[in-house]
Amino acid sequence: MNDELLRVSGVTHVFGRGAAAVRAVDGVSLAVPAGQLLLIMGPSGSGKTTLLTIIGGLLRPTSGSVIVNGVEITALSESQLVPVRRRSVGFVFQSFNLWESLTARENVELPLNMAGVGGSRARERATQLLEERGLANRLNFRSRDLSGGEKQRVSIARALANEPRVLLADEPTANLDSTHGLEIMGLLREIARSGGSSGEAGAGRAVIVVSHDQRIREVADRVLWMEDGRVRDIGHVVRDPVCGMGVEVDRAVAVVLEGRTFHFCSRGCSLEFLASPERFLAGTREGRS
Amino acid sequence: MVPVARRNLFAEKGRFAISVAGVAFAVLLIMTVLALYRGWSRTGQIFQEMPGQLWVVQQGTSDPFHSVSLLERADLERVASVSGVQTVVPVLSRQMSLGATGSEESVRLMALDASAGLPVTPEVRDRFLPDRGTIIIESILSRQSGLHEGDRAEFGDLSLTVADVRPAGSEVLSQFAFVNFEDAKRIFGVGGIVTYGMVVVSEDAGVPAVAAAIADQNPRLKVYTDEEFATSIRKEIDESFIPVIAILVAIGFVVGAAVVGLTIYTATIERTREFGVMKAVGGSAGFLYRIVLSQSAILTAAGFVAGLLGSLVVADLAARAVPEFATDFQARDIAAVGTAALVMAVIASLVPARRVNSIDPAIVFRA
Repeated sequence: MNDELLRVSGVTHVFGRGAAAVRAVDGVSLAVPAGQLLLIMGPSGSGKTTLLTIIGGLLRPTSGSVIVNGVEITALSESQLVPVRRRSVGFVFQSFNLWESLTARENVELPLNMAGVGGSRARERATQLLEERGLANRLNFRSRDLSGGEKQRVSIARALANEPRVLLADEPTANLDSTHGLEIMGLLREIARSGGSSGEAGAGRAVIVVSHDQRIREVADRVLWMEDGRVRDIGHVVRDPVCGMGVEVDRAVAVVLEGRTFHFCSRGCSLEFLASPERFLAGTREGRS
Repeated sequence: MVPVARRNLFAEKGRFAISVAGVAFAVLLIMTVLALYRGWSRTGQIFQEMPGQLWVVQQGTSDPFHSVSLLERADLERVASVSGVQTVVPVLSRQMSLGATGSEESVRLMALDASAGLPVTPEVRDRFLPDRGTIIIESILSRQSGLHEGDRAEFGDLSLTVADVRPAGSEVLSQFAFVNFEDAKRIFGVGGIVTYGMVVVSEDAGVPAVAAAIADQNPRLKVYTDEEFATSIRKEIDESFIPVIAILVAIGFVVGAAVVGLTIYTATIERTREFGVMKAVGGSAGFLYRIVLSQSAILTAAGFVAGLLGSLVVADLAARAVPEFATDFQARDIAAVGTAALVMAVIASLVPARRVNSIDPAIVFRA
């Protein structure tokens, strides 16, 4: 696949030994291209977070390999992993994990400092990232004084600070109400599609979200189900070009037009599309597979 | 750069203040004890402030306070003939009881015989050569005895008027008071006997050579340079005071390091998750260690400044309450304590730094 940013091959991770051994991740393989938002769902204890931790280079798998943006991180030493975490991968956490004593802007500035960007350059970049997320009037607020939605937006801005090509989000909507949850997912989708920040090289990113939240399926491009450490594809999700809803390719109403296939949530949407396709096709590949 | 260390420390101002106070107390203890030692180490300096460069004493005399030197004037007259000697001034000196307004104080009484050809400058006259019937004392003795300018000081049947109260000097083992040589002869009840000979060396003569020539001339005499004579008094202080100083400084150092270490360790434990996040998003071990070290350095620097200022205040208050509390804050000691504080900061950050190094960044995914 073109511009593949993440490839996981046969990754297995076993916690403990002997009779107490637990196979948290069991032979998982997947690939995520730029521009795709991959959702991994599954029950608690299924190994989702462990898989995310391995992809992020925070945990070494028992076997298998992970390639992030062309670099096999499973072959790297601990010290070699530091720049990978700094520049190639961004993290968004369930509990935000902001640095409480710092302001919103400083939370975004710090990863830039770690990457060697300091002074006004770091400040301007942090300000830009926060302003793009609607936090222009919260720049100097201590993170503890922000609402849940604001904290998560700061967390996303922080994750994007060093322009990683892969973004990992662990239950990003778990501590948010439905409005803020959808808002955050919209942001993540935007990040996958266009990079989520103006003026960045290489538009699309690979966004991998681990969540229980069924609402997220609507915005995901692809959904994996994880159970007992194994994953299976439960749908390639595309957007209905008429109503904008995410639909699973296998279950959607499909229409072929001029050699291209479009998917719809219902027959009504497909008929509306066929009546005037040019209305829905301008400048978009949505709903096409 | 984002001032993470400062933000972390100031996030909890109460604890920061308590920790700074802990370090400040340690610095205060170290600084005050050192300044006290330096102050006491100036004891005997008065012999270097008098106009002579050599002191001739009876052979066997170890120091001015613990042994008595008795010299015949004739011996000093022979010393005057030694090449390079400009003048030999007979000196009477003895520890005496001074009677003052209902109390008695011990004082080191001294008298120089200016008639022997001592070059008298106004400063020498004002400090060391009172007129007959008068006495020059220092402010510590004044506060101890209650004597002020114009009051009467009693030595047996002789009553002297306080001519001047000079600012506190450097003497802590005993206070020095200067009387006229003729009055001293009457108080001590001696005739042709003096205590020391103070030698003024000619400008074109070498002090060591003159000292050697005097010693060669008369084996019953011992010759000290003014510095050696002063040092003979300080020896007692150095021998008894330095071990005590060393222990107190060590205690202060350990207390300071423990306070900084515990504070930084606690702050690190409380922020384990935040440090884990830093590691997860690409913070190197060096980056995290710099934060811990900076926290430690900020805390120590604040404590050092507070402790230094506190020690100056304490020394001033203590000197008002106890006149003998003579301190001397020297730049080299302040620099040394500052360096020690820096070492303290580094040592105190080692354990928390190890803790930070051992944090598993995967902790960030635990809810």
